[in-house]
Order: sequence, then C-alpha cells, then structure tokens
Amino acid sequence: MPFRRSEAGPREWIDRHRTVHFTFEGTRYVAFAGDTITSALQANGVQLLGRSFKYHRPRGALSMANHDVNALFTTADDTNVRGDVTPVTDALDVRPVNVSGSLARDAHRHLDRLGRFLPAGFYYKAFHKPRWLFPYWERLIRRRAGLGTVDSAWTPRRRPKRYGYCDVLVVGGGPAGLQAALGAAEASLDVLLVDENPHLGGSLDYEWVTDPAAPAQRDELMEAVAASPAIRVLTSAVALGFYTDHWVPVSTPEGIIKVRARGVVLATGVIEQPAVFRNNDLPGVLMASAAQRLLHRFGVQACERAVLQVNNPEGFAAAEDLRRGGVELQAVVASGPGVQKADAAALVDAGVPVHFGWAIVEAHGDGAVAAATIAPVDAGGVPDQTHARRIDCDGVVSSAGWGPAGHLLYQAGGRFSYDDTLEMPVPVAWPDTVVPAGRMNGVFSLASQRDDGRDAAGRLAAALAGGPVSDPMSNRDTRAHATPWPVVPHPKGRDFVDLDEDLQYKDLIQGAREGFDNVELLKRFTTVGMGPSQGKHSNLNAFRILARYLGQGMDETGTTTARPMYHPVRLEDLAGRRMRPWRETPVQAWHGEHGGFLMESGEWERPSFYGEEADAQQVIASEVTAVRTGVGIIDVSTLGKIEVLGPDAATLLDGSYTMRQGNLRAGLTRYALRTDDTGVIVDDGVVGRLAEDHYYLTATSSHAEGTYQTLTRHALEWGLDVHVVNRTGQLGALNLTGPLSRRVLEPLVDVDLSEAALPRLGMTDARVCGEWARLLRVGFVGELGYEIHAPAGTMARIWDALMDAGAPLGIRPFGVDTQRVLRLEKGHIIVGQDTDGLTNPFEAAMPWAVHLKKPWFVGRPALAHLKGAEQRKLVRFVMAADSSAPLPRESHLVIRDGTIAGRVTSIARSPTLGRPIGLAMVDRDLAEAGQALAIRGDGGRMLAAEVVTETFYDPDGLRQNADAPEVTP
Amino acid sequence: MPWRLLKIGLRGAHKEPRFFPEPADLRDSYDVVIIGGGGHGLACAYYLATRHGIRNVAVLEQGYIGGGNTGRNTTIVRSNYLTPDGVRFYDASVRMFQRLSQELDINLFYSTRGHYTLAHSDEAMRTMRWRAEVNRHLDVDSQVVDRDAVGRGIPGLDLDCGGSQPVMGALYHAPGAVVRHDAVAWGYARAATNNGVEVHQKTRVTGMQVENGRVCGVATDRGNIRCGAVVSMVAGSTPRITEMAGLSTPIEIFPLQACVTEPVKPFLDTIVVSGSLHVYVSQSSRGELVMGASVDPAVLHSTRSSFEFVEGLADRIVDLFPFTARLRINRQWAGMSDMTPDFAPIMGTTPVSGFYLDAGWGTWGFKATPISGSTMADTVANNRNHELIEPFRFDRFADFQLVGEKGAASVGH
Amino acid sequence: MQQLDCPIIGRRPISEFVYGGEVRRPPPGDAPLADVADHAFNRTGQPTVLREWWFHRPTGRWFVLERNTLSNVVERVVPPQEVAYAIPTL
Ligand SMILES: Cc1cc2nc3c(=O)[nH]c(=O)nc-3n(C[C@H](O)[C@H](O)[C@H](O)COP(=O)(O)OP(=O)(O)OC[C@H]3O[C@@H](n4cnc5c(N)ncnc54)[C@H](O)[C@@H]3O)c2cc1C
Repeated sequence: MPFRRSEAGPREWIDRHRTVHFTFEGTRYVAFAGDTITSALQANGVQLLGRSFKYHRPRGALSMANHDVNALFTTADDTNVRGDVTPVTDALDVRPVNVSGSLARDAHRHLDRLGRFLPAGFYYKAFHKPRWLFPYWERLIRRRAGLGTVDSAWTPRRRPKRYGYCDVLVVGGGPAGLQAALGAAEASLDVLLVDENPHLGGSLDYEWVTDPAAPAQRDELMEAVAASPAIRVLTSAVALGFYTDHWVPVSTPEGIIKVRARGVVLATGVIEQPAVFRNNDLPGVLMASAAQRLLHRFGVQACERAVLQVNNPEGFAAAEDLRRGGVELQAVVASGPGVQKADAAALVDAGVPVHFGWAIVEAHGDGAVAAATIAPVDAGGVPDQTHARRIDCDGVVSSAGWGPAGHLLYQAGGRFSYDDTLEMPVPVAWPDTVVPAGRMNGVFSLASQRDDGRDAAGRLAAALAGGPVSDPMSNRDTRAHATPWPVVPHPKGRDFVDLDEDLQYKDLIQGAREGFDNVELLKRFTTVGMGPSQGKHSNLNAFRILARYLGQGMDETGTTTARPMYHPVRLEDLAGRRMRPWRETPVQAWHGEHGGFLMESGEWERPSFYGEEADAQQVIASEVTAVRTGVGIIDVSTLGKIEVLGPDAATLLDGSYTMRQGNLRAGLTRYALRTDDTGVIVDDGVVGRLAEDHYYLTATSSHAEGTYQTLTRHALEWGLDVHVVNRTGQLGALNLTGPLSRRVLEPLVDVDLSEAALPRLGMTDARVCGEWARLLRVGFVGELGYEIHAPAGTMARIWDALMDAGAPLGIRPFGVDTQRVLRLEKGHIIVGQDTDGLTNPFEAAMPWAVHLKKPWFVGRPALAHLKGAEQRKLVRFVMAADSSAPLPRESHLVIRDGTIAGRVTSIARSPTLGRPIGLAMVDRDLAEAGQALAIRGDGGRMLAAEVVTETFYDPDGLRQNADAPEVTP
Repeated sequence: MPWRLLKIGLRGAHKEPRFFPEPADLRDSYDVVIIGGGGHGLACAYYLATRHGIRNVAVLEQGYIGGGNTGRNTTIVRSNYLTPDGVRFYDASVRMFQRLSQELDINLFYSTRGHYTLAHSDEAMRTMRWRAEVNRHLDVDSQVVDRDAVGRGIPGLDLDCGGSQPVMGALYHAPGAVVRHDAVAWGYARAATNNGVEVHQKTRVTGMQVENGRVCGVATDRGNIRCGAVVSMVAGSTPRITEMAGLSTPIEIFPLQACVTEPVKPFLDTIVVSGSLHVYVSQSSRGELVMGASVDPAVLHSTRSSFEFVEGLADRIVDLFPFTARLRINRQWAGMSDMTPDFAPIMGTTPVSGFYLDAGWGTWGFKATPISGSTMADTVANNRNHELIEPFRFDRFADFQLVGEKGAASVGH
Repeated sequence: MQQLDCPIIGRRPISEFVYGGEVRRPPPGDAPLADVADHAFNRTGQPTVLREWWFHRPTGRWFVLERNTLSNVVERVVPPQEVAYAIPTL
C-alpha cells in the first residue's frame, strides 16, 4: 500500500516528528501526532472506512469536516466516533461500526443488491401482514439498524461545566471571524473567539494556498488576534446551538462551557455540498475541500489521478492546488453559472484537460473508485450520454457548491433566502445583536470576507452601544458559487443525495410522487437529513430536487428547521458534574452511629427505625411500645419552621389556612390545614401564637418551601404589613414523647411543665440545657409530648442531654416508620398518603378543620359548595386480630359488587391494639360505622375489614395530660 | 423478503400509488370541519367517513399533516393509568393500535416493548401498586415488580441511580409500546381521503362564526367555510380556537421537549420511565435513544428548545444507564402541550352547539389517537358524548368532577 | 438559558425562579359555583401579554411581570400594589 504523504506544508496540523501507532481492524498502522483517524488511514492507503447505514455500501472520506458519518468508528471506550475529526492517539484500537465480520467482507454487503426492493419508506409498506409475523421482522430490522455498539462497562466521566461571559462571541476562526474578533476588540469589547478546529485559520490553512497574498494575511490576522489582550481563543470548541438570551454552549475536549455573550458574530462559513451522480459514494469520491483539508492539514494526498468536477471559482483553485500537491488531473469538467473560463487559466496553462460544459455522470469501481464517466451537459444540467467518456482515475473530486452553516443564526431568529445569483441560501434578516459574517453571509473573496468581518463587528458594537445600526453594507459576491443543479440522476440509481441515510435521487422523487411533496413531509417520509450529520450535506440538494420536481422556486419550497446540536454532543458532557442537593439535620451523625436505618426523603435522609432491615417489624413494634409506655425521641428537624411577624400576621394566617388562627391565644398552638383554590388539601401543620403580632408555624417536610412561598405571596397579594421568615434550615427540631417525657425534660428546662403552666397545645420559649429553645406541646403520635425547636448549632447537644437524662427511663429513639404507626393508631392523616391530588377536607373526614364562619380564606369559595357533596370519604377500619392472616397493603382496593369502591391508604398491625388497623378512602355510602369492607389483597384474596368511627387509640386524649399519674408518679 | 417489497422492487418503485390525493380546491361548505391535521383530526375524519357515513368532511391543517405534536412526540402507548375512567379509555386505544397497521394497511411499526415506571420511594411504590390494582381490575396487564426484577428486566440499569434515589421497584406494563408517529397521521390521512374526506394542508382557521349559540362556519386564510359542525383537534393551539368560540377552558400551554441520540445497535428493549427523576427513554427501531422529561416550567406558546432541558435530562439518564454517557445527542425539539389541571383530556360537546372539542392532550395524547378519533366521530355523528369520553366532558370543572390522572400522567406520557 | 430581571437583584438565569402562574383575583367567599369554578380552573390560555407571578428563590421574593407568552419577552415589571386586593376578615 502506498504511503500517501505529500511533502510537508506550511500550515499542516500534523507533527512529523512524533509518530503514533494505532490499530484498525486488528492491523497496526503508524501515523503522526495531529492526524485524525481518517487522515491516518488515508495516509496508509486505507480508503475503505465504513459501510453505509442501509445498503452496507463501501464508504470513505467525504468532507473531512465533521460530517463524514460513513466513517464512524468504535474504540475501547466510545462509539460513533467521527474519523474525519477525531485525533488518533498512541495505542488507539479502532474498529468500524455497523459491519458484520470485517469491513471488506461485511456479511451484509449483499444488501446493496437488494436496494430496489428497499425504496424510501419501504418499511411502511411491508412486514405488517400477517400481524403475527411482524415481531419477527421487527427483530430483524432492529438488529440491522443502529450504527455503533455500546459497551455496558463504560463509566461516565462527569466533569464540571464551565461558564464564559463576554461582550462578543465570535463563532468561526476563518478570515471573517478573525477580522470580526479584531474589530470588536478595537471597539473595546471583550471577545471570545471559538472554532471547532484545533487551529484557527479556517479556510486560510487549506483553501487559499494558491493565492500568493493569503499566507501573509493569515499570519497577520493570527498574530493580531494572539496579541490582542481583549480576545480569548478557544479551539476544538464547537458552538452547539443558540439559545434564548445569547446563551451559546460550547463543547470542548475538556467539557462544556456555557457562554453568555451580549452579542454574537456568526462567521461559521459554508459547508460544501456534494455532486449527485451514480456511485458518488464510492471511496475515493470526495469533495474538493476535503481533498484540500487532507492535503494541507495532514499532508495526505487523497488520490494520485483525479477527475474533478468544478462548478465554482473555488473548484478551479482547488484543482490547481491539488495539481501542485502532486495529483495528476486526468480531467476537469466544469459547468454552470459559477464557471468562468478565466478561472481555469492556470490549469489550462499547465496542460490539464478542462472540459467546459461537462459534468461527471458516473463513477465506477468495485469498492473504490477506478474511473469516472464524464459527459457534456445542457444548461439545465442534463447530460448528453452520446458523448460520454470514461476516464480511469483513483479519485473523483467535486466542487459543486456551498450551503451556509447557518444553524445558529437560524436558531437566533435569523431568516435565509435562496440567492439566485450566488446559487445558495443567504441570511436576509437577523437580530441586531447576532450578526452573520463571511462566507455564510455570501461573501467569498478573501478581502471582502475580511471587510465583512470588520463590518459585522462594527454593526454589533453599535448595537451593543445602543446606537443606530447601519444598514448591512453588503460585501456579498455578485456571481454564482454553485451549480443550481448538481444532480445527474441515473436510471440505475446509486446516485446518492443523503449518504447518512442511503437515499438516492429516485427515493426523493418517489416520496414526492406519493404525496410527501413538501420539505417536512419529504424529510419525514424519506428520512433525508435525519441521520447523524443532520442534513449538512444532503438537505440543500434534496430541496433542489423537490423544488425542481414541483416546478417552483427554492424559497417557495422552503427548508426544514435547523435544530441543535450543531454537532452531536456526549451525554456525559451535557450532564456535567453530578450534583445533588443534600441536607442534614443537626443530629444526622447520631442516627448513623446508632443504627438508624436511613431512607431518602426528598433532600433529607431520615431513620425509618433503629435496627436491621430484616427485623423491621419487631423493631418498629418495640419502638411503638417504648413511646406508648415510656419515652421516645424522634428527629423532626425536616419540618418546615416559619416565623410570621407584624400587625397583619393574623390576617395572613386566617386567609391562608382553613381554620381560624386570628383568635388563637398567645402561648397556644392550633392544627393548621391548607387548601388550594379548588379546595384540595395541600399541607398541614401547626400554627402557634407567641404574641399579638407574632406567630410561629410548622409545615410538613416536603412542603416547607412551598408553604413559605405561599405565605410570602399572599402577604404581597393582600397588601399586608407582615414579615415571613423561613427558619427551616436554621432551626432543628425533635419530638420527645411518651408518658415519661415530662420526667426526662423537666430537669433540663427553666420552665414549669405542669398542665397549668404549659397546657396541651401550649407553646413557650424556654431554655433547654441552658440554650434557647421553643417548646410546643403537640402530639402527632398521641402521647404527652414536647416538640423542641432550637438553633441547629445547639440541637445536637440538647439531643444528647435528653438521651442521657432519658437513659435511666429507657428512652428509645424512634424513626419515621414507627411514627407512621403511632399516628395511625391515633387516626391522624398524612397529607399525600391518605389524601390524593383531589381530596378536600370533607372527604378526608375533617370538616372540623374547615371554619366556614370565616368570610374568606384560600379554598373557602370552593369548600362552601363542596361541603356535603363529597362522594367518597376517608374512614378508619379494623381487621380481625388473627396475626397469621395476610394483611392488605396500602393501595389495595376495596371492592363492592365487582367494582372498585375505594382503596386502603394506610395500614399497619397495631402493636398497641393488637390488631390490624387502617385508613381507607371509600365511596361515601360505605363510610358508616360497622360497614363491612372487602379488600382485595395480594393474589386477589379478599380480606374482610370493618369501618369504625372511634379513634383507635385514646379517643379522649387522656394520655396527653401532663399531670396524669403515670407522668408524675 | 415480504411479498409487497418484491412487488415494489420488481415493477419499479415509481409506480407506487399516491398516498394522498392531489390537493383540491377549498369548497365553501362542508358538513363537518375538523380543525387540525394531527393524528386526532385525521383519525376523527376517517371514522366519521367509515363508521358514520359522514364524508363531506374537511380537515384543515395550518401547516402539514402530523406537523404538530403528532410528529413531535415520543410515541409511548400504554394504558396503565390510575383512574378507572382513564384506564378504560386508554385500554380501548391500545387495543385499536394493536390492529391499526392492518386496518390502515400501513406498517406503523407498532412495537410492543413493555413499559417500566420506576419507583424510587415508598410513596412512588404506593402509587405503582394503586395503578397496578386498578389496571388489573380492568384486565389491563400491569404489575408491581421488585428491585431485583427491575434489574433483570432492564439490563444495564444502575439500580442505585448513581448514588441517590435508588430504584425500589417498578410498575411493569407489558403492553407498553412505541409506534412510528408520522405513519399514524399518514395512515389515517390516506384512509380518510380514500373515503372521500378532504385534507387541506397550509390552511389555517382564523375565526369562527357562532350565531345564537350555534356554530355555523369558520374563517380561514383561504376563505370562509360554512358548516354544521366544527371539531377542534389542535392540541397546543386549543386556547386560540376556544377563544374564537367564546369559551374559557382550564387549558394552559407549556412547551414539552424531547431529544434523540445518534443511532446505536439495540441494547434497550423496554420503555423506561422515572417519575422521580423526571425522565423517560426508549430506543427507536432506528437505534436512537428517544428521551424526554416533564414540561417546561412556565407557560409559553413556542417550540423553541432550551439547553437546560438536555443538560437536566442527560444528568439523569447517565444516572440510570451509566454507559450511555458516551452516546451523543443529535437533535432536540419541542412541542406545545395543552395541559389540564387533572391531567385528563377535555372531550366532546361544548356549550356552543355544533362545536366539539378534543383537547387537553398535554404530554399524553398520542396514545389516544385511535380512540379519540373514533369516540369523537361517534360524538359528532350523534351529537352526544360517547360513553367512554363522558368522564372527560367539557363541564366537569364547573361541577368539580375532576378525573385525577396526575399521578399516572405527569412524566409518563 | 433565558434570563429574567429580578426587580431586586437584576438579571438572573431563569432556573433561579419559580413560576407562579397567571395573576388572578379570587371570588368572594360566598360566590356562586360557576364563578368559583371559573376562578379555580379556567385560565387565559391563548397567547397574550400575561400578568404573572414569579418567585426568585435566592432572594425569596415574589414579583409580578407582564410577559408576552408568544414571544417570551418581558414587557413590564408590575408594582405589587397594582395586583393587591384586600381580603375580608372576621
Ligand atoms: C415532546 C413530546 C412528547 C410527547 N410524548 C408523548 C408520548 O410519548 N405518548 C403520548 O401518548 N403522547 C405524547 N405527547 C403528546 C402527544 O404528542 C399529543 O397529545 C398528541 O399528538 C396530540 O395530537 P393531536 O392530533 O390532537 O394534535 P397535533 O398533532 O398537535 O395536531 C394539531 C394540528 O392542528 C394544527 N392547527 C393548530 N391551529 C390551527 C388552525 N388555527 N388552523 C388549522 N390548523 C391548526 C396544527 O398545525 C397541528 O398540526 C408528547 C408531546 C410532545 C410535545
């Protein structure tokens, strides 16, 4: 195999002093540092780089510009790696994608011959009859689909994302972009210049080589940019998309940088478009800019003997360039409005056969190009086959025209229109602060590209200064740079329009004929432009084909939406560093050290109980018993804790909660239920009053923030003079409860704990262990109990002191699961478990919590109508004491006459009552005392329960008396 | 090789008949005007023509058929809803979908994959059990599976989710499927037009004529049309149409986004949804991972994409399937979701006589395409709500009779 | 990412904000069912310049904006007095 390196060039990206060794399909190759996978393989004479998606046709390099998606590879830790732009590194092991066996002997290569049976949209027309066979076909088709293969052993690299701020972001480091960056810097703007290539220069490092003035200009621009303190440069950096408010994420090898710019210059250039002719996909057929990139960036000759199709001045320059680079030009065919004979002078002088008015009509070869057929074409591009001529060659190079890399401008709200002079779409409208420049803007000569960059910077600077923005001074070229019809359909097909998706000319025509005759439907039916390169080399030609088919103009035909990403980007880069908010209570460490079985609960982690998971039921039961007979302690620091101060405090709470709070006496608390406008229960907690103008309230853990937000909004909405302070994180809280709780607490506080001094539902500020704390005598679990709220910094000390003081009395810490059983024994609901997204307080059997006497509160207008209209109701039920009988689970259904009549919302075997108890939401007529309920348990087994009305445990609340005999023996 | 493809190949593809007839002129009167050429509108037209003999029907589509949410959705079809009303309705749709390729003679690639809704908390497990119980009661195949079974059913899933919110179990719904969305629209469009319906693309309804509480025509950018019945099936544009009819509704429009990766060989057979992580994923028959999340946080009538959507999504997907870290997002897009307070649709007759509404499809309406089309056709033909859609009636809000699908619909699609 | 002007600390990324929905005035406590349902459920769904509540989490402040829900352009910050109303108390 020939080693196809040319002589060292001045701008090349490779470092010829450093070699790297890599393996492709098991064969070792040598390359230079700076090579890409494709350039390295080409240099080694390997032209067959991949197999196509559908027909498994042999494919090679096409663009060398990050849309060679027929040359994708799998490496040890990645797949769908683009060979045209991915550097080779030492010891890299590269395999092709989507082949079975080796590339050369791919077992699916015969599919190519079946092409006629697989036209566009074929899968809509077959395989569905008979129905039972479809899964077979589906498996077959799915296996064929897809490109690379993932490896489940890959682990994510989660790197932090970074942020970038600048006045002006310039995307594209070619002549226009470089000049725009300089222009913006001169206007004292802070500039960030990004380019997807590893080096700045854009087309300057491969396309202007035959222009004697270019190297000096390039050096001048590069030096000026490097010297400017106002310009930061990022290379190998892809601007992924343009999002609202000038937010442009940039993907770099080190991860993503999210750039916020005040203004953006898009000097993103153009994307060369292929010519369509039979076998235009053979390895060895490539676009002129690709051949030039290979030559000047990597020192690789794409071929030795080439046939070129030229449709624009750039093509003639490229031809001359390749000739000087050592390629023998067997023939140059040139046609269309972009061709002027003068441009070919150098070639003609050098004796290259140039055929004006001719085009390539077919390439030949088996696995690689071996010849091309050229023929004269008429003004409409139709070839005259009678004069066709076949020429041997090992390369077919085309320069058919350009499409704007206008994706970001489009996303920024810019509009494009097809320019019939230039024969390409150009921007016609854009926001003042997002400005196109350079070739994307239809500006072609080196000098005018620089002018255009300078003008763009000037207009942007004016816009950013708030001044008037001058009319876009047009540097646009006034001649064609493309053929309007780079398409020579072949009766036998294989004239590919979309190489990602293996779509031929006839596929598009067929789609249009079948009625998919607008761009969007055509795209969706044929999948043109939907492959990994997202239509970068296929959309424009497809639209041309459709426009011609419909006999209408390009603008009338329209385009599809250019969606992000500009180039695909890895999930791990998008994900960035893994950050999960995490909160710890002041006694978090203690739980871990004392066997707490921790469960996540929102951002918190709370003990379910203290013991082994395997013993959960016994442990919970013993914790329950400890609370009922002795004393227990639970960390409730996750509760929302909110202070409300000011003359309108009472009004705020009266308006926000269903119960009256304005008539609460200072030193007392009251249950607090919150509903929304529709009367649905949102949250519950406790409101306490400290003074006329001072309340303190709690909310459930998951609604702490929501309650705070609601109250602050109401304060504003109702024009109230009140301050709402969220102390949730600043205060810790615990609940010390059980008949012996007073005895544990008493020695540690400076207040009287008698029923008279601190009654049930009382609240007082006090010193606990000498530290400030707030005591609330509330009893969710149904025993005498004290909620102690204290600053997070002192909470752990208080906790320890209580544990010490309680030790002689057998104090037990208890967890959330235990608390759930305890509250169930007491019949208290848990909002969100015993209620759902539509439950109102009447359905929750809490009419007592709705004070309709108040003229207004949130939810009152609705609740006034809903009262008495409930169709379902929360009930308590009990089951037989038999401990061997299976228990229904939460969410098991209540069944009556074969229909659903309710569901269990809470259930437990009550250690205290010695039988299963629960809550269920049932049809209203089942909500009568003594009503038998049939619950469908696991395995469909029907289980009997009975509705009861009494509170299961201590219905009269006698156990919550601080002066009861067992409390103070 | 299936016979059909042999035939196409042997006689040359160009002789395939047109899918849709050449566009006709807009007439000045139809019996029924359907606004919206999405799946719902086209299905309704098809069933009006085939089941009720009402063929003098025009479907008016402002863009191209299927170009709304029908062509933007992530195509999950399932019936594991929470309320009996919802389960019955969607189950009927799933059953229709299962035979739709044959009925419409187009391969919709209806691919039954199995659908996991992961539970990462006790609370979520309770909801999964609730859904499973209701589903099974109505003969819908759903079951709660434990953590180990999830691990076996979804190879490659990290049950610990990267270290927080570990998977505790899941609701497994065997009939869960994905479909080629465009094909659904095309299949209905072809079948409807074959039965005499006119489908007018690039025809936008700009106003509605209502006289004495009765609809009598619509205005379009191609002229006025008289008609006896107007059916609005415009998903994300619903409030604009109901405003023309002088009706208030609870519908608010929120963007809903989605994205796909580059295609890779199949590794994920099932559909995986995590309500707690707010993401879901399936692998298309082309090999792309199709992924989505919850609606955007604020009302917006726009299909713009946001970067924070892909960032948030990637963050969670990589937790679920760590090795997908190397897969690349190729394309993202958005649709406009017509959200309702109870996550159930609004269907049927309205206070304006002759004006029928099919809306409130939010993030979940693609799966309802066949059943919505057929029940709405029945409703229009008989001018009373079909029994399956009665729970979703327009005035349920006025009566505080909401449906309560939030628990099953939010990120489930 | 879109930015919103927090009236207190200026332009911040939208991820710092919580959307509070359309500004609506509730009916009186004894309003007829139709009015109650209208307020509780119906919304201005069509594209328009909408007055809506926004909450800035880092500063813990609510404010009201007028935003064009078609173009996503914020047109005005509304002083809270403009949307405030008195609630009846006992
Ligand atoms: C990203 C995304 C993912 C989703 N994923 C799922 C999923 O996995 N499963 C699921 O079941 N659902 C999903 N949905 C929801 C589903 O897509 C929709 O609910 C469903 O497609 C609605 O269908 P439709 O026919 O009613 O509306 P559309 O398909 O939106 O059709 C309405 C049509 O009305 C046209 N129209 C509007 N106004 C006018 C006018 N004035 N005149 C004429 N024509 C007009 C529009 O152009 C549009 O084509 C998703 C939605 C989105 C956006």
